[in-house]
Amino acid sequence: MKRSLFGRLWPNVTAVVLFIGFVFPVYWMFSTAFKPTGDIISENPVWFPTDITFEHFKKATGVDHFWTYVTNSLIVTLCAVGLSLAVALAGSFALARMRFKGRRGFVIGFMVAQMAPWEVMIIAMYMIVRDASMLNSLVPLTVFYMMMILPFTILTLRGFVAAVPRELEEAAMVDGCGRAQAFRKVILPLLAPGLMSTSLFGFITAWNEFPLVLVLNKEAEAQTLPLWLSSFQTAFGNDWGATMAASSLFAVPILILFVFLQRKAVSGLTAGAVKG
Amino acid sequence: MTVQTERPPSGPVDVTKRDESGPARPRPRAAFRAGALTPYLLLLPACAATVLLLGWPLVKDVLLSFQNLNMAQLIQHVTEWNGVDNYKEVLTGEDFWRVTLRSILFTAVNVALIMVAGALVGLLLARLGKRMRVLLLVGLVLAWAMPVVAATTVYQWLFAQRFGVVNWVLDRLGWHSMADYSWTSSQMSTFFVVTVLIVWMSIPFVAINLYAATTTIPSELYEAASLDGAGGWKSFTTVTLPFLRPFLYATTFLEIIWVFKAFVQVFTINGGGPDRLTEILPVYAYIEGVGNQHYGMGAAIAVLTILILLGLTAYYLRIVLKQEEDEL
Amino acid sequence: MKRKLISAIGVAGMMISLAACGGDNGDNGDGGDKAGADGYAGQTLTVWVMDGSSPDQWQKDVQAAFEKKTKAKVKFEVQQWNGIQQKLTTALSEENPPDVFEIGNTQTPAYAKTGGLADLADLKTEIGADWTASLNESSIYDGKQYAAPWYFANRVVLYNKKIWAEAGIKDTPKTRDEFYADLKQIGEKTDAEPIYLPGQNWYHFVGLTIGEGAELVKKDGDKYVSNLADPKIGAAMETYKKFQALSKAPKDKDEATPQQGEVFGKGDVGAFIGMGWEAGIAIKANPKIEKEIGYFTIPGATADKPEGVFLGGSNLAVAAGSQKQELAKEFLKIALSDQYEGELAKLNGVIPNKESLQTNLKGNVVAEAAAPAAAGGGTTPLIPEWAAVENAPNPVKTYMTAVLNGKSPAEAAKQVEDEFNKRLSQQQ
Repeated sequence: MKRSLFGRLWPNVTAVVLFIGFVFPVYWMFSTAFKPTGDIISENPVWFPTDITFEHFKKATGVDHFWTYVTNSLIVTLCAVGLSLAVALAGSFALARMRFKGRRGFVIGFMVAQMAPWEVMIIAMYMIVRDASMLNSLVPLTVFYMMMILPFTILTLRGFVAAVPRELEEAAMVDGCGRAQAFRKVILPLLAPGLMSTSLFGFITAWNEFPLVLVLNKEAEAQTLPLWLSSFQTAFGNDWGATMAASSLFAVPILILFVFLQRKAVSGLTAGAVKG
Repeated sequence: MTVQTERPPSGPVDVTKRDESGPARPRPRAAFRAGALTPYLLLLPACAATVLLLGWPLVKDVLLSFQNLNMAQLIQHVTEWNGVDNYKEVLTGEDFWRVTLRSILFTAVNVALIMVAGALVGLLLARLGKRMRVLLLVGLVLAWAMPVVAATTVYQWLFAQRFGVVNWVLDRLGWHSMADYSWTSSQMSTFFVVTVLIVWMSIPFVAINLYAATTTIPSELYEAASLDGAGGWKSFTTVTLPFLRPFLYATTFLEIIWVFKAFVQVFTINGGGPDRLTEILPVYAYIEGVGNQHYGMGAAIAVLTILILLGLTAYYLRIVLKQEEDEL
Repeated sequence: MKRKLISAIGVAGMMISLAACGGDNGDNGDGGDKAGADGYAGQTLTVWVMDGSSPDQWQKDVQAAFEKKTKAKVKFEVQQWNGIQQKLTTALSEENPPDVFEIGNTQTPAYAKTGGLADLADLKTEIGADWTASLNESSIYDGKQYAAPWYFANRVVLYNKKIWAEAGIKDTPKTRDEFYADLKQIGEKTDAEPIYLPGQNWYHFVGLTIGEGAELVKKDGDKYVSNLADPKIGAAMETYKKFQALSKAPKDKDEATPQQGEVFGKGDVGAFIGMGWEAGIAIKANPKIEKEIGYFTIPGATADKPEGVFLGGSNLAVAAGSQKQELAKEFLKIALSDQYEGELAKLNGVIPNKESLQTNLKGNVVAEAAAPAAAGGGTTPLIPEWAAVENAPNPVKTYMTAVLNGKSPAEAAKQVEDEFNKRLSQQQ
């Protein structure tokens, strides 16, 4: 109202500039993937692809074992996220709702655990897994990925649990629900957005991991997509069409999941807010 | 949009605190008598997992750091203790200290950029009209959702020496020497690319959550401030900033951890090169340990890296420690 | 209380791993290696070969012969050179290492010293009496035979005939200066990039140092130290730099990232320096290029003496930890037999491990281009300490990029000396 034209304009202009800045790399990845090679290596960039080609995608998916990698990645990621949610939910409930000796220690412990620089401990992890004869298996990968995302999941979920009004829980218990039942019937639905957003974070972490799988699993049957993408890049480093097609394929599940879960999470939150 | 979803721990904790101080205070304790063991049982799976899957590798790593472990020892499964030799070699060499300093500077610069730019974008979001806000949010979410392995690949293409779009734009803007510039050829240009990548990837997290946090500021606070005659800036410093402080602490803490551990970005863009000049601690540990097959040495560097990271975040951990104390 | 529960979880974890052990042992328990009435039926031998080193046809033929003779299966797994040492070291420490693997001749002494390679003395007596002694050198450590020489090759110039014709060049060059002049001419008369030479094609650089008669390391007391400051090395680097200036290839990448064959296959590169088999990569990327590819010996300073070359080569080794030692040796006997060793030489144009098989190279354009230089070829120092130098970031590569980016050879040598020496003296 009181703002000048300039005052109204600059936030919008900045927003558009920022939007372009954030979207451009993603856009460039997809558009390169669909452009014929001639348009990719041209002296002047082709900003909007006119000839669409699927040749690069064919090359990217034509690699041996491609579908094995896809399946492995999905199995490992989903199991790791699922396990970590289950384990974290119990822990976060205790941390957010109960008083007991040593609670502070647990919280700090998980915060420290969250800092673990996994990449530097790879050789120790390798030797443990090797000596347990569990190389080239998806099990160690799953449990280590679970651990990588567990601290963050616990700490974040704890915030969500704490935000659920106690009155609701108590009301349920007054109505004759046991504590476990109150948890299941009242708290869990309210936690849905929290569960979704933490699982999103977990999904991204596990989906991306590659230093560990590189050392642990030498057999193609037990490898995952990040290895495919990075080896692809070494071999076809200057074939940007194929590399971008591979990157696009790798990114799409996360992008979809993100958009999907974001919306769910929001509606859940607003619903929760109304009730609360 | 995304709102509290990824909100770091301390935010909602504050909310609880407020709840407790309210009328709910004198609530009967019946609910908490479920048995003294319950909380421990609930925490058991998480603790067991941590001990087994994090504690064990950590202990193993510490043990390895006191060993002379190279190709031969690894292949033949021989354990050769060599006391503190690895630490002596690492700590007396110049490399380690140089890398440590570089890591700290790298982290500081990146985190500062991320926090300042992220906060500004977050405040901008709060100020925009609905349509523009959704537009910008879409952009942020897309960048946020890009998997890091894919993102580094895309950045390599953007900054490619030949046919890279960045060089083309710079050339067009009159910077003709950049037409065929190799971004991986020098320390600073490599760091530049890595920094752009990391900042680009990290701003959305800070911005979106900060925006979400501002929406939870009760408007009465602003009204009260304006009644006191506070202008825009004053109400920002007296209302917005204090309200967001715990959130800012928590986010800074997370960003420090994430940037300090930015192994994949640094390693993929240029392998710590040129001439090992862009190695940060995790990359250094990896190259000395796994790359040079000097595993014991790598383990020693890893232990030192962990200690340094703990040191960097000690301040925040102390705050949390205090805060948790207050709550009990 | 808590401790008890944690230990319970620990036990559970251990039981899981024990179960996994049991499963593994079932597959290849001891005694499985002996040939029964059914030969080695039911077993599978894992063989690691490097990317591009053995053609599909050869693998198929050897596979067929092996399966026929032993009734066992063989599985070839193609490995990338990039990061191979790390992969191999960890693999050799495992319960199920690759049974047979290809290993670079410059890396063999280091692995022989680690105890990861099986002693092949009996194989040498059985089939290796006439192995060329100079090619077998890298396989011997401490007087023992740790690997079997497989194939050897040196680099040649691969060029695009069409582009050279377009530039009006009739004959292939005989001296370094002619070569340079031809490339210059291509740059002037065509749109093509005259030569694709990335800054870190260090095998070619090692060849140039051999041509200059220089050594990469020297002895200082009882240990080896860098000799990069030698002016002869500097001279070799200047030659490299002169040619590299004609290329738009990145100064800080090697010939495998991206594969130079892929780049050449696009058809707008005049030449590159590489192995004969790299033509296959170009053809795979662009089948139409096949008829345009020509080969010639890398020209030296004078017409009578070709350029020095790195005599790269690979040995085949058996993992000491392999539980199929006998079967692995059976495989080697077939793969290295005159028939298949000859076939490999013929298909890939590589130098076989025996003089008598050289006839297979007759009429092979690649081999004929490579042969004149082979006599003056050499290797990196055959000492166990050397393998550490080749780990990324390889100081020789760093040295090359530094010179190409404007440092003087002496300065660049000084810059990487510490790293180089540290690796040579690395504790083993």
